Amino acid sequence: MDLTAEALAKTIDHTVLKAETKRSKILQLCEEALTYNFAAVCINPVHVAYAAELLKDSDVKVCCVVGFPLGANTSATKAYETKESVRGGAHEVDMVVNVGALRDENFELVRSDIEAVVSASGDAHTKVILETGLLTDDQKKKGCLLSKEVGADFVKTSTGFGPMGATPYDVRLMRETVGKDMGVKAAGGIRNFKDAIKMIDAGADRLGTSAGVAIVEDFRWAQYSDSWMQEDRPCWDCPSRQANLAKQPKEVYVWYKERCLVCPDRSENVFND
Amino acid sequence: MSDSPLPYIESKILRVSLTDQMITTESIPEDLYRKYLGGRGLGVKILYDALSPGVDALSPENLLVFAIGPLTAMPVPTAGRLAVVTKSPLTGTIFDSNVGGYIGAQLRRAGYAAIIFEGSAPTPVYLWINDDKVELRDASKVWGKDVYETTDRLLEETDPKAQVACIGPAGENKVKLAAIMTDKHRAAGRGGVGAVMGSKNLKAVVAKGTGSVGVDDKDRLTEAVKRARRLIKKNAVTNKSLPIYGTSVLVNVTNEFGMLPTHNFQEGTFNDAVGVSGEKLIERLLVGRYNCYGCPIGCGRVSRVGDQEIGGPEYETIWAFGPQCGINDLEWITLANHECNLLGLDTISVGSTIGCAMELYQKGKIEAPMKFGSTEGLLDLIRDMAHARDLGGELGEGSRTFAEKNGAPELAMHVKGLEIPAYDPRGAQGHALGYSTSNRGGCHLRSYLIGPEILGSPVRVDRDNPKGKADLVILYQNLSAVMDAMILCRFTNFAWTVDDYAEFLSAGTGLSINGRELLEIGERIYNLERIFNNREGLTAKDDQLPPRFFSPLPEGNSRERVVELDTMLAEYYSLRGWDKEGKPSKDRIKKLKIDV
Repeated sequence: MDLTAEALAKTIDHTVLKAETKRSKILQLCEEALTYNFAAVCINPVHVAYAAELLKDSDVKVCCVVGFPLGANTSATKAYETKESVRGGAHEVDMVVNVGALRDENFELVRSDIEAVVSASGDAHTKVILETGLLTDDQKKKGCLLSKEVGADFVKTSTGFGPMGATPYDVRLMRETVGKDMGVKAAGGIRNFKDAIKMIDAGADRLGTSAGVAIVEDFRWAQYSDSWMQEDRPCWDCPSRQANLAKQPKEVYVWYKERCLVCPDRSENVFND
Repeated sequence: MSDSPLPYIESKILRVSLTDQMITTESIPEDLYRKYLGGRGLGVKILYDALSPGVDALSPENLLVFAIGPLTAMPVPTAGRLAVVTKSPLTGTIFDSNVGGYIGAQLRRAGYAAIIFEGSAPTPVYLWINDDKVELRDASKVWGKDVYETTDRLLEETDPKAQVACIGPAGENKVKLAAIMTDKHRAAGRGGVGAVMGSKNLKAVVAKGTGSVGVDDKDRLTEAVKRARRLIKKNAVTNKSLPIYGTSVLVNVTNEFGMLPTHNFQEGTFNDAVGVSGEKLIERLLVGRYNCYGCPIGCGRVSRVGDQEIGGPEYETIWAFGPQCGINDLEWITLANHECNLLGLDTISVGSTIGCAMELYQKGKIEAPMKFGSTEGLLDLIRDMAHARDLGGELGEGSRTFAEKNGAPELAMHVKGLEIPAYDPRGAQGHALGYSTSNRGGCHLRSYLIGPEILGSPVRVDRDNPKGKADLVILYQNLSAVMDAMILCRFTNFAWTVDDYAEFLSAGTGLSINGRELLEIGERIYNLERIFNNREGLTAKDDQLPPRFFSPLPEGNSRERVVELDTMLAEYYSLRGWDKEGKPSKDRIKKLKIDV
């Protein structure tokens, strides 16, 4: 395997976005980010200034979420939140797209919403979270293209609070859509080095995860056996398997599940884990 | 400090000839601890060199070795364990059983790497180690006493700050399921090591050590320990599941996966699993937690039933007296655990053997009314097992012998005579291979593939796919062997990798070593154990599983699966460099520098 632990660490946005996060947790997060030389810490706006202070003079970036986690704020609010965060020291802004507008095919609103954040971010990089679990493939592609059109730096799969996390399938789709010159960030449900490598292989160049330490530490196991990376059953990584009627719009759920009916790997979908 | 090239590795051994009451000291040659480290590795080497093939495990010719490891009593988390190594009367194989508590650290501080017990005392004795004063003392006053009373009385007689490892009535009666107990409720439980101790008329080892233990590179070790503690705090298993629930957190997990063995492995789900789960234990019985020496995890439980404070129960015990026997009474399970602690019995094998008897009754093979789900008379039966009397005497021989005697050997859930613990192998192919190839028989700890296959640690691998499992089983077996040689708690490898253990060893002892070299020591130990077993006549046919595991479970989330053993086993032997009979090749023996 060519990937080194250091290179793997440099793909990781070390993340804590939970409501209950205390200042001590941000301190720990930043210390770990420095220890492992992660790409960034990904945090809520309220913690930006503190993290920026802790990480000054390092090359670990401060990444802040905006319009998080629903994406349902007005564009002006997102823009203001972005400015505030950048002023506080954020180098990167992960905004949630207006998911409802994307599903309404109100593409002008989606475009202007993203544009507002890109403009407000100044020199900071912008990543556009699509929340793929709420979208069909056509909607994901459209979200990617709109993000690219208005100059966002990355597209990102999920918030981690939505109906499903990142899957290699979605990462591959997004990479194919945006091409090689734009970033793709996989986030949500990336818990170990195998998950991480699958995402990288699918085309991700950044990973959002709260398990960054475990991913890098446990990656050392990889040198002792190739069997860790043995191929999983295709359904394990498929977004259709994660589809959940309680969490998704009915038509999106049905769209995902109907894919199973024509899937060439359908016969594999017989297990209960 | 000694003039050894590695002065921070303790090399002094006590040799106790029980027959003639002689105690001598000797040194481990440097080459030996470089190749086998200590603990399990050292014990296996001593046994291999000293025993003639075919020695009766309960005869004076067998040896009983207590060994600590090169890191013992250093400030390394969990470095206080003790390995007991002998030839097992239950399996006829080489056998090591390791135990937590605090006695390992006392032995190290007293200045000993190991104690070799040989022969048999004419009357009951115990060994009292008080730093460099070592003596055999009369144990007649505590012979026949239970583990708790024995411990209390010997501490009164010696020093309240000492630690005791002792047998109960089960060991005295040479019951093949007898354990050696430390700190009253921690057990070197498996394989009948307590029976070997009883056969030597050795009731206890009491140890107190006050010496200091130096380390080679204090700063480097401090850094390694700091890092290791941080990793334990970051890991969900070692920081949350185990401290909060203890090992019994697994009851609901394995039940959900359909691999909680129920009614002697006839089913893989237990209807009342929630009622005997770790979560329920907290709600109803738990009064405290127990940490072994130097352990930041604290998986041990202290429970209360009535006015009785009880050490345990752990997952395996809950399973053995619970789902395995169809029993859903958590209070009773805890009392049965306590009874085994008092008597010095292995809860896994006792519960499993009772479950086997219950199925024999269910199938009309025995007349004794042992019904699944009924606790009636079982505590008395357990006492009878410890005293080798009546039906209990027959059960105390273990499930293999009992089932064979009653005409249904296929109903004993064992490998090499050792009862298989609490994970149905049909639900995890790699774990199944681990059971079958374990040198000490049906053991879950030789290669705990439940980690990757069920818990997703360090990564999730497909539990149903036999592909690649031989490779992982070998990795885990080699790592486990070397961890048992060092000797550190198995749970640490949820948080640490091979390289962390190598760093401890390098920093603590000055034995410069990397992860691959460490695994090679593990491989050497594993192969020597295999060579020992081959010498005893074991072959590939002993790497088999009970026929039940080649028929599918009727329901639950592991249904419609069987163990695909033949495929995995062939690959395993090939990767190990063993022939079709499961014997290490000459090339492999030479490569591993094993002297045979």
